[in-house]
Amino acid sequence: MAEPRTKYDRQLRIWGEQGQAALEKASICLLNCGPTGSETLKNLVLGGVGSITVIDGSKVELGDLGNNFMVDKSSVGQSKAKCVCAFLQELNDAVKAKFIEEYPEALIETNPSFFSQFTLVVATQLVEDSMVKLDRICREANVMLIFARSYGLTGLVRISVKEHTVVESKPDHFLDDLRLNNPWLELRRLAESTDLNVSDPVAHKHIPYVFILVKMADEWAKSHGGNLPSTREEKKEFKDLIKTRMIAMDEDNYKEAIDASFKVFAPQGISADLQQVINDSCAEVDSNSSDFWIMVAALKEFIAKEGGGEAPLEGSIPDMTSSTEHYVNLQNIYFGKADADFLAIEQRVRNILKKIGRDPNSISKAIIKSFCKNARKLKVCRYRLAEEEFNSPILSELQKYLTDEDYSIAVGFYILLRAVDRFAANYNSFPGQFNGAMDEDISRLKTTAVGLLSDLGCNGSTLTEDLINEMCRFGAAELHAVAAFIGGIASQEVIKLITRQFVPMPGTFIFNGIDHKSQLLLL
Amino acid sequence: MVGAGGIGCELLKTLALSGFQDIHIIDMDTIEVSNLNRQFLFRQSHVGLSKARVAREAVLKFRPQISITPYHANVKDPTFNVDFFKQFNVVLNGLDNLDARRHVNRICLAADVPLVESGTTGFLGQVTVHVKGKTECYECHPKPAPKTYPVCTITSTPSKFVHCIVWAKDLLFAKLFGDKNQENDLNVHSNDAGSSSNHTEDVFIRRNDEDIEQYGRRVYDHVFGYNIEVALSNEETWKNRNRPKPIYTRDVLDNEHTRQNGNMEKNCATNDQSSMSAMAALGMKNPQDIWSLMENSRIFLEALKLFFLKREKEIGNLTFDKDDQLAVEFVTTAANIRASSFGIPLHSLFEAKGIAGNIVHAVATTNAIIAGLIVIEAIKTPLLLEINTHQAKLRDFVDKIVKAKLGMTLPLIMHGAALLYEVGDDLDEDMIANYTANLEKVLSELPSPVTGGTMLTVEDLQQELSCNINIKHREEFDEEKEPDGMLLSGWMQAPCVEDANNSNDNAGSTSKALPLEVEKNKEIETSSGHKRRLSEVSKNGSPSNAEEARNHEKLQVLDDDDDLVIVEGGDLGTNKKKRER
Repeated sequence: MAEPRTKYDRQLRIWGEQGQAALEKASICLLNCGPTGSETLKNLVLGGVGSITVIDGSKVELGDLGNNFMVDKSSVGQSKAKCVCAFLQELNDAVKAKFIEEYPEALIETNPSFFSQFTLVVATQLVEDSMVKLDRICREANVMLIFARSYGLTGLVRISVKEHTVVESKPDHFLDDLRLNNPWLELRRLAESTDLNVSDPVAHKHIPYVFILVKMADEWAKSHGGNLPSTREEKKEFKDLIKTRMIAMDEDNYKEAIDASFKVFAPQGISADLQQVINDSCAEVDSNSSDFWIMVAALKEFIAKEGGGEAPLEGSIPDMTSSTEHYVNLQNIYFGKADADFLAIEQRVRNILKKIGRDPNSISKAIIKSFCKNARKLKVCRYRLAEEEFNSPILSELQKYLTDEDYSIAVGFYILLRAVDRFAANYNSFPGQFNGAMDEDISRLKTTAVGLLSDLGCNGSTLTEDLINEMCRFGAAELHAVAAFIGGIASQEVIKLITRQFVPMPGTFIFNGIDHKSQLLLL
Repeated sequence: MVGAGGIGCELLKTLALSGFQDIHIIDMDTIEVSNLNRQFLFRQSHVGLSKARVAREAVLKFRPQISITPYHANVKDPTFNVDFFKQFNVVLNGLDNLDARRHVNRICLAADVPLVESGTTGFLGQVTVHVKGKTECYECHPKPAPKTYPVCTITSTPSKFVHCIVWAKDLLFAKLFGDKNQENDLNVHSNDAGSSSNHTEDVFIRRNDEDIEQYGRRVYDHVFGYNIEVALSNEETWKNRNRPKPIYTRDVLDNEHTRQNGNMEKNCATNDQSSMSAMAALGMKNPQDIWSLMENSRIFLEALKLFFLKREKEIGNLTFDKDDQLAVEFVTTAANIRASSFGIPLHSLFEAKGIAGNIVHAVATTNAIIAGLIVIEAIKTPLLLEINTHQAKLRDFVDKIVKAKLGMTLPLIMHGAALLYEVGDDLDEDMIANYTANLEKVLSELPSPVTGGTMLTVEDLQQELSCNINIKHREEFDEEKEPDGMLLSGWMQAPCVEDANNSNDNAGSTSKALPLEVEKNKEIETSSGHKRRLSEVSKNGSPSNAEEARNHEKLQVLDDDDDLVIVEGGDLGTNKKKRER
C-alpha cells in the first residue's frame, strides 16, 4: 500500500492534514452511477474519502459503454452499481466502498431514514419530484446534499445545506493584516526606534516598508491635525512625500512603500461582511449553539472591547525588502500581538462556554487559534430548500436574469431543465428521447416551459426557439465530456463542504456547453 | 491531444469515451506514488513504469477497439518534428512546464495543427485554443518568468529560507552529486579571499579510502563552518547585516553522534531508491515536524552517507528531483543548517519540498473539469479539407464532400462574400448557367480562386446548417486509401456503440449515448436539429476561446506531469465504411 502521506502530497498542500482527516472520516452516498455520478465519486475516491455507498437500480446496457468509463463489455447485464463500485474500489484501497442495487427514487419513497447515516449525499440525474423529497429528508437529518445533473450540453450543480460556516475560507486575494491604518502601540514604538535617515545606503534600502509607512503616516498626521490622507490629492501628496525620502533610484523598499501606501488609507475597523456575521442572530448563543457561533460571540465581544473596533490580528507578514534583522523583529512583533489577541479571545470563549453550561475546555486551543487567524474571512452560507426555490424563486432576480443578455441562456437552461421533468411526468419520456417525434416534442416542451414560467409569475417571458430546439435535440443524453466536467465541479464542492475550507458556491450552477460559459443563479 | 499525467489521464479517458479512435501519447515520465491521488489510470503496482504505456493499457482494457500509440520519450526529441505533428488533426497539451509548452506551440504553428493548451494548479485551471491565423498563439502573451535570485544573495547574504533552498539544491547538491564539469558558485567566497582554490576544489572529492563518516563531517565543516568564516572575513559585507554564525559538526553533535550516525544496516534493508530515507533510518517519521539543528545535521550526514554507500553509481549524474526522497532530505537539511547560520527560521521537510520542487498543488477534481473542457474544445476545432486545388473541380467538392459527407441537399458555397455555387428554385437562368459553369472548373481557376489557406463557407438554408472548411492544398493522394482524392478531417463519428439510440428504461437517469456531432448520413437528412449544433460549434468555438484566453492570460498553470498526447480525430476509415453502406 502506498504511504498515504506521499500519495496525498499534492492535495495536502491545498487543504492540509485537517482537511484530509475530515475527508477520511466522511461517508458519501451516491445516487445513480451514470457518468455524472461515477465521475464525481471517482474524484472523491482518489482524494481518499472514508467510505462510499453507490446506489443504482439499473443494469449495465450497451449504451452505457459509450459514456461511462467504469463499465466495460463484460459488465453488460450486471448491476451498474456493482460494476462502478468495483472500479472505484480499485482506485484506492483505503476507501470503504459498497453498493446497493436499488433505484434511488424507491429508496426515497420507502426508506427515508436510510440517508441519515451519511455525511453527504451526492444526488445525480434526479428529476424534480425526487429532488424535492430527498432535500426534505436530508435537511431533516442534517445530512449535506448536493445535486448534479448532466443533460446534453448543459448541466447543473446545486448544494443544499441549512447552514455551512467556514473559518478557513481561503480567498484568492485578501489584503494582508498589517494594520498600517491603525498601528498599535508596540508597532509604533518599534517603528520610532528605526532611523529612516540612516546614512549608510545599504541600511537605508533595507528598512522594511512597514516602518517607512508607519513613521511617515505619523509625520503626516502631526502636520494635518491628526488626520491621515483621505482625499485623492492628499493621497498623491503622501506618495510624493515618500518618494522624496529615497536616496537612490534602486531602493525597492521605498517603491514597495509607495505601492503599499493604500494600506495606510484603508478604513479602520471590520469589513461589512464581518459586521454582518457578528450581527447574525445566531451570535446570541445558548447551549445549542455550534462552536462556530460561540467563537463568533467571543469575537463580537472582543471587537467591542480589547479590539477597539478591530478583529484579532492575523500575525503573519508578507515578503518585503528588508534586512534579516528588521524582518525577524517585525515578525516577532506581529506574532506577539496576534498571540495576545488570541489569548483574549480564548478567555472570552471559555467564559461563554461556562455561561451556557458547557465544559469551558470543549473547544481546543488549536481551533480557537485558527479562528482568530481567519477572523476577518469568516463565511456563513445558507441554502433555501429546493422546494422553496422551485415554488417561489426570488422573482426580481429571475426577471433580471431573463432580461439580461448575459444570463439569458443560463436561466433558459435552468427553466428548461425543470420543464423537461414536467414534460417527462406528462409524456413518460424526455423531449427528443425517441426518434421521430422531434417536432411534436419541441412544441410540447415550449408549451411546458411557458406554463412553468407563468406558474413562477413571469407571464409573458419566453425562451428562444433555438434553445428549446437544442434542449430537445439533447434527448436527455449524458455526454461523457459534460459529465466529467459536471462531476469535477460537484466533487470540488463536496470537498469544500467536507473539509470546511474554501467557500462553496451560493446558488445553482449552470453549465452552458454551447458557449462554454458557467454561471451561478441565485434564486 | 496532450498528456498522460494529471490532466492526461482524464483526457485520455474522456477522448476515448467521446469517440476519438486514433490517439498518440507522448510522455517521458514514469509513475510516482504522489501521482496516485489523481492520475486514476495508475495503481501502486505501476510505480516506476512509463506513464504513456500504462495509460494506454488501462484505457484499452476498457475500450479495446480504439488505437492508442504511446511514446515514452521527451516531446522535445527530434523524432517529434514538424512532419510528425502534421499527421494529427489536433494536439492537446497537458504539460507541466513553460519550456515544453512553448516548444509544442511553435511546432504546432509550423505544422499548422490546432493546439488546445491547458493547465491546473490547485483549484484553478484553464483551457485555451490556439489555431494558426485564427486565434492568438500560446506565446502572444508573455508568461511570468520563474523567480530568480541574485547570485550573491544565494552565495553570501541569504535573508529568506528560499535563498537557502536554492543554495542547497543548485549549489551544494549539484556540487556533490551532479555533473562535475558544471560551473558552480559554491566556493565564491574562498576564491574572493584569494585562498588557495586548489584546496577548496579538493574538499568535495572523497579521498581514497577515506571513511565515509569522516568525509561527511569534512564536507559539513567546510560548507557550514569554514566557508562562513571566510565570508565573515569580508567585513564590508556585514557592516549593516547580522553576521552569520559558522557551524561545525563538533558544535552540534555530541561525541556519540559524531562517531556513529544512524544504524544503516538495521534500518536500510531496502535498496529501493524511491523509499531510501535518512530520516527513517534515524527514526524520524513526520515530514511536517520542524527539526532542530542537531536533527537536521544528523539527517544531513546520514543522507550524504546513503548517497555514497547505496547510490554511488548515480553520483556525478544526479539532478535534484522532488520525488527523490533522499535528495529532498539532503536539500531540506542543508537549507535548514544554512538558515540556522543566518538566523532565518527553519522549515519542515514538507514545506521545504514544496519550495525546492516548485511543487504545484494538484487534485483530481480540477483535472477532471479541465479535461472535460479540453475535449469539448477539441471537438470544435474547424473542418480541414486536403485537396489538390489544381486538379479537383468544384463538382468533385460538391459531390464528395458537401453532399456525401456533410449531407447537404440544397447547398450554397461561398468564398468570403463571393458566391461560388447555389441550388434553389428561385434562381434566374443566368445564375444557374454561371453555377453550372463553375462546377466544371478546377478550384484554383474559379472566379474567386480556391487555393491552400482558403476558407470556404458551406450552408444549407433548408437544414439551417452552416460550417466553415479550411482548404489545404495537397498534390498526391493514395488511390487505395483515399479514393476520393481528397481528405476531410475534423468530422467526428459517433462513438462506436451498437445502436446507442436504444431507449433507456430508467427514465430518471437516462444515459443514452448521444452522438455528439453528426452521425450517419441518413440522420443528417432527417433531423435538422443536429445541424444547427454543428454550425454553432464552428462559429462559436475558437473566437470565444481567444477571448477567454485573454481574460485568463495571467494564470500560469501546470500540473506536475510532463507529457504529451496526440489525437487523430474521428477515424476516417470508419467514416468511409459507414458512408458506403
